[in-house]
Amino acid sequence: MTKYEFIEALRQGLSGLPKRDIEEQISFYGEMIDDRIEEGACEEEAVEQLGNVNDLVLKILKEIPLSRLVKEKVNNGRRLNALEIILLILGSPIWFSLLVAAFAVLFSLYVSLWAVLVSLWAVAFSFIASAFGGIFAAVVFLFGGNTLPAVATIGASVCLAGISVLLFIACKFFSKGVLLLTKKAVLKLKAALIKKEKSNE
Amino acid sequence: MDTQIKRGILDVCVLAAIKNEDSYGYKIIKDLKPYIELSESTLYTILKRLENADMLTVRTAEHNGRLRKYYRITENGAKRLEAFKSEWKEVMLIYEFVCKEEKNGD
Repeated sequence: MTKYEFIEALRQGLSGLPKRDIEEQISFYGEMIDDRIEEGACEEEAVEQLGNVNDLVLKILKEIPLSRLVKEKVNNGRRLNALEIILLILGSPIWFSLLVAAFAVLFSLYVSLWAVLVSLWAVAFSFIASAFGGIFAAVVFLFGGNTLPAVATIGASVCLAGISVLLFIACKFFSKGVLLLTKKAVLKLKAALIKKEKSNE
Repeated sequence: MDTQIKRGILDVCVLAAIKNEDSYGYKIIKDLKPYIELSESTLYTILKRLENADMLTVRTAEHNGRLRKYYRITENGAKRLEAFKSEWKEVMLIYEFVCKEEKNGD
């Protein structure tokens, strides 16, 4: 890959970003290539040392806040003509409610994911609490002279404690999974924002 | 390593690389190589962060018929380096304490 090809691929990959950011990134990586060439590397080697362009684009995207990308997208929108504006206003009862509904559905799905997690955690905690409660009850039974119920409650408490430990492990695993999923979704969204920009051109 | 700690250390590394004289991107990466492997995209983010935090300034100068960006440490940046030194003295004390505890535990 030549320097020109690398820079063009980078420009393509970043095309949804603010113009100034793109130019800054490009001059930064261009300088990196030139400095390597000056040190004796051939152009091909110098470019290769920077790694795969697509990986680089993803890394750069990860560092940019989503809000900034959305803002850029909104600011960059082309001007609408009068007919389009009228149609947009006339159609607003339909498209606006659909849009809100779509967002609401996505949002509620995401919230319910967390709700499940929260309830799982709650169950785990309540099991632990009841295990302690059971031990307390067993002590009361013992002092009351009821040995058999005391043994039974201790047994139940130990079972509850065991189950809650397993639940804790499961909860931690799922919580991590959901967090990872969130991160991936944000990255996908960023990539989608940039891709749309490309097809507009 | 904890990401917060790593981020702080990387900032300090880059500041240290420009503390004696102005430097440019590729030279910073080369100078730090024996101590820490820094990718270009990571360096870019750090430089931006330090510039926004007013710890370094950027100027563009001509070099061999092309433009190159040079980074210079500011007073704030120098202060950050000094703060790092004293912070890590404390950390090293804790480190020694932790290691001593391990020995006693054996």
